[in-house]
Amino acid sequence: MKPQISDLKSHTSGSSGEADESLFEYLHAEIMNYVVSKNVPMNKDGEENLTRLEHMGFYVGYRIIERITREWPRFKEELDMIKFICTDFWPPLFQKPIDNLKTNHQGIYVLQDNEFRLLKRLGNNDSKQYLCESPRLIAFTCGLLRGSLANLGIVSIVKAEMTSLPSCKFHVEVQRV
Amino acid sequence: MTVHNLYIFSRNGVLLYYAEWNRLNKSGITKEEEAKLMYGMLFSIKSFVNKISPLDPKEGFLYYKTSKYTLHYLETPSGLKFVINTDNISQNVRQLLQQLYSQVYVEYVVKNPFCQLNEPIQSEVFKSKLDELIKKSPIFLNRSL
Repeated sequence: MKPQISDLKSHTSGSSGEADESLFEYLHAEIMNYVVSKNVPMNKDGEENLTRLEHMGFYVGYRIIERITREWPRFKEELDMIKFICTDFWPPLFQKPIDNLKTNHQGIYVLQDNEFRLLKRLGNNDSKQYLCESPRLIAFTCGLLRGSLANLGIVSIVKAEMTSLPSCKFHVEVQRV
Repeated sequence: MTVHNLYIFSRNGVLLYYAEWNRLNKSGITKEEEAKLMYGMLFSIKSFVNKISPLDPKEGFLYYKTSKYTLHYLETPSGLKFVINTDNISQNVRQLLQQLYSQVYVEYVVKNPFCQLNEPIQSEVFKSKLDELIKKSPIFLNRSL
């Protein structure tokens, strides 16, 4: 038994073990299942009510941005903040940066991730199998984006769009007052 | 070298997945009956091997071989059973089964929140990744027999 135990220790001391990577995914999946099982009422268009998940994401994002930006100087403009989200905020959370950023320079940004971490086990090559369930996996991340932008001083609406599965587009609409 | 077919059983003997590539002889019974028969035989062999072994059986049953084919068996500590039939000259099939478990089953079934565990696998990604793994392995050589 002894060699096995020491073996296990050397394995877990590595910075990214299996548990590090998957713990968030399993926990996220359970939270999603819990929230979905709790809300029976659907809204008018037959879509599921995922606001609770979105709210959780909002507060997580609001807090996490505090820590991630501590080494950073102040941002000059809105676009810098969005760029920061794409290149420095995304990788520690989702293991890769955002693949594509588009904007109309009037407060609408489209962030595209071609292999979104929470979706990549569900489909590849345009499979449509889990397409109608996938918004459940995205709601938390939409909130995360909205919350992190809120703490940077941008009030926004975040929507997600999925057409083929591992890829996902987040539409950020900045609300000007 | 060739891979004939593959069964995945849960801890309780539910057939989670079946796939076949080069199978020439059909059993003549339904897939469900065949799965029960297969599971029953594996269960018996396992207990036979463990009881009859003159030494500590360690991993127990690993494979059996007939004049025509070899059945390779991998059971995980959680009770999942991977069974693959190949011809007699295939090498490193155990390694292939390990890969199948860790790179395909865990990744695309366990980590998919919409897959129910211990129920037959419906995921299309799982099917395509499994097919890909088997077809790119050196054991799989499509040969008309």
